[in-house]
Amino acid sequence: MRCDETTRLIDAYIDGELSASDASAVGGHVDACVHCLRRIQAREVLGELIRALPYVAAPEHLRTTIVDRRRPIRSLTHWASAAMVVVAAAGGAGGRAWWQTHIASMVAEQVMTRHVHALATQHLVDVRSSDQHTVKPWFQGKLDFAPPIADLADAGFPLIGGRIDTIAGRPVAAVVYERRLHVITAFVSAADEDVPAEYERTVRGFHEKHWVQQGICFWIVSDLNAQELTDFVELLRARAM
Amino acid sequence: MFRRSFEDVVVPHLDAAFNYARWLARNDADAEDIVQDAALRAFRFFPSLRSDNARSWLLTIVRNAWYARVANRQHTVASTEYDDMADRRADDQIGPEELLIQREQVDRVQRAVEQLPDDFREVIVLRELEGFSYKEIARIVGVPIGTVMSRLARARERLIALLRPAASTGDAT
Repeated sequence: MRCDETTRLIDAYIDGELSASDASAVGGHVDACVHCLRRIQAREVLGELIRALPYVAAPEHLRTTIVDRRRPIRSLTHWASAAMVVVAAAGGAGGRAWWQTHIASMVAEQVMTRHVHALATQHLVDVRSSDQHTVKPWFQGKLDFAPPIADLADAGFPLIGGRIDTIAGRPVAAVVYERRLHVITAFVSAADEDVPAEYERTVRGFHEKHWVQQGICFWIVSDLNAQELTDFVELLRARAM
Repeated sequence: MFRRSFEDVVVPHLDAAFNYARWLARNDADAEDIVQDAALRAFRFFPSLRSDNARSWLLTIVRNAWYARVANRQHTVASTEYDDMADRRADDQIGPEELLIQREQVDRVQRAVEQLPDDFREVIVLRELEGFSYKEIARIVGVPIGTVMSRLARARERLIALLRPAASTGDAT
């Protein structure tokens, strides 16, 4: 092995990341080449110098804050309420509005992903019915809350059905409506009643609207135009409860 | 299969998270904010933790929290991808004994590491202080293993050049 080849492999060599045959080739070269040996030794000394730097432990108050703060979150069993507590908690500390937006957009992203995934795999519903009295009982025993389902057919938003979906690792009800050829998914989960939160965004042609109403958390997503989706949301808010 | 708790799995790695955040942010106050944000996020996504390596999982989240914060402040994250040959072989003439002299100068070593561009600094910290393998570093940083190797090599070359006894002015001639 030549010096230039050795130079290329020197870091992987000292980090123990080379295959046995490469390592033995580098070792053989180093035995005969003082120049490369010194390069290796310099790196080893450098490693010692860096590892001698102080390893600063997390301050006790930080540890306490983290363990305490997540306690109320832990008692909540639903993804949405946990998210909203996070937003509320983060909002209490000044200058952290970016984090609120960050968390909300993270949930929004998952909501959109699940909506698109259901469309792409043509697995929109597990219970297919335009009758809310068929769809609603289907969720019984599958979730620990009763997802509100509205009859909006007279307003041009017929019910397609429902399925169980997962957002951030937790089960939610996905209630599917349609408007002409546009599918509207209403992701519904239980939420903490005193967590006020609204959020909306438009990304890549999808509108998303979120609100909490009587302890139930809604995330609506569709590629329907903004005006008609707003109409839908107003109707749902009025009739779902 | 029993359910592992957040306390048992994640909290033991708070020191590593804080130390890493401190190296990324280069000050304690920002590091605390970053770790708090990361812990909240880690808790939220804890149910989806599949990997057995909670430490690398947590540090990945710390890194994301830091990047989110930096991006939010409209800072640009210094990238070293295109200044490739700048410090190539800068360490050629520096021997191990010259570096050994630096042993008593912890501050100088600390400053040298702090001076590294962000993407060099993080691989040095993950390798030398956390002892992660190239594969684990690649996963945390989100780059190929080959990139981890070349960044480490260049970071070390640059550090050795920075730490040569006469290099306090940064003059490498």
